[in-house]
Amino acid sequence: MAENLIDAWFMREVMPLEPMLTRFLQRNWRAEAEIADLRQEAYARIYEAAQRERPLQVKPFLFQVARNLMIDRLRKQSVVSLETMADFDLLNVSDDKPSSEAYVAARQELRLLQTALDDLPPRCREVVLMRKVEGLSQKEVAKRMGITIETVENQVAKGVRLLAQALGGRRGAVTSEARRYNYFRKPRDVG
Amino acid sequence: MSADQTEILAAAWLSREDRGLTPEDQLALDAWLGDSLNRVAYLRLKSVWVRADRLAVLKSPLPLAAKRAARRPVVLAAIAAALTVMLATGGYLTWRLQAEQSFATDIGATQQVQLADGTRMELNTNTRVHTDVTAARRAVTLDSGEAYFDVVHDARRPFIVYAGNRRITDLGTKFSVFRDGDDVRVLVREGQVRVDMLDKTAMSAPVVAQAGHAVITKGGETLLLAKPDHDIANALSWRSGMLVFSQQTLAEAAEQFNRYNAKQIFVEGDARKIRIGGSFKADNVDVFALLLRRGFGLSVNDEGERIVVSR
Repeated sequence: MAENLIDAWFMREVMPLEPMLTRFLQRNWRAEAEIADLRQEAYARIYEAAQRERPLQVKPFLFQVARNLMIDRLRKQSVVSLETMADFDLLNVSDDKPSSEAYVAARQELRLLQTALDDLPPRCREVVLMRKVEGLSQKEVAKRMGITIETVENQVAKGVRLLAQALGGRRGAVTSEARRYNYFRKPRDVG
Repeated sequence: MSADQTEILAAAWLSREDRGLTPEDQLALDAWLGDSLNRVAYLRLKSVWVRADRLAVLKSPLPLAAKRAARRPVVLAAIAAALTVMLATGGYLTWRLQAEQSFATDIGATQQVQLADGTRMELNTNTRVHTDVTAARRAVTLDSGEAYFDVVHDARRPFIVYAGNRRITDLGTKFSVFRDGDDVRVLVREGQVRVDMLDKTAMSAPVVAQAGHAVITKGGETLLLAKPDHDIANALSWRSGMLVFSQQTLAEAAEQFNRYNAKQIFVEGDARKIRIGGSFKADNVDVFALLLRRGFGLSVNDEGERIVVSR
């Protein structure tokens, strides 16, 4: 289905904007705990919009969506002055360069990834390192480390969230909660 | 569900996928990804996980270039796959210039058609229409089923859909029309439409429906009602191959599934009243049944040609 194309588009065009989007939300939204919700909602809206028609200018569109979401929420809180809404920072959203350039240069990218990897908790780091640097499968990692494959799976899930957090420019929040990861026995129970 | 909770599930899925999915896992994952909030959470983590492949250069002192070369086949395969998908979808988008045409879809199929005036029409499952688009007029007759229209507005040449005993005239808009015999349901997503009776002798004033409204007709009666955006979006989710439910009864959900599948699902007894929400691939009634068994502990009896669900 065409969904594969939208998925690829989303990862290629929207994801590189995440650090910028996160900073934008942090500047304009005081409740840090709600930043991730706003961001996810903005992503879902832009994804759904792309299902109908792919936006030509991704960056301004994404920021407009994020801005509208914040305004919606403010309206619902109904205790906000108009000044607050007028204050929204909409600088730096013109699409003056292709968004793929928003990804940092290759060398800097590697350094970012390496720092993020090094910041992982020890066991998690070891699993991700074997999986991504050594290129071992989860099964091989389990064997090598003498742990169950379920543990490896849990560590991968934990690792990918922490990496996303480190690369997405979201500060704080997840780390303490990241320790409660015993969730993964039943990812299938959804709905 | 908060973004963090969704993210935890997305990470669990990604990690399970990284380990290797069983066919059953794959079906359940596909169903889960039908919800945009889930999907973007998953794609976000996936893009990071793919990015982390770059860490492979740390493995040995080989130069960057050599490592990149090793990954190229994967990239090529991805491009090839993307092209295949594009070609396949391009095939659906049929360009037609002739004035009068007929289009039909089978059960479970959808079709996108671009009409000569630029209007886009999407046919849902089990639908038949014929179109008559000329320099002077634009008319579509919905013989059966459901179609969605994204109309290029032209004040001098209104776009008209005939369905049962009704005529729906576009006043600049995106809307869908569903027909079941003479009963017609119109959903307006953008702009507005006018709905009137074809039978001139009937004492029925035309109804103008704005965006965010539905018009439901039965015989000579016409009901106009406001619909929240998400209801409209849910009702149009078939356009991406999904059925989205929010607080519908199991009986209603089954009825929807049965429009899309030859394999019919029957819900018996008080299980019919259970309210459910969620999003599902319209053509995958098996996964739906599986989730009913898991989620509600219902007994699900697959008889091959039909599935019977009960307490």
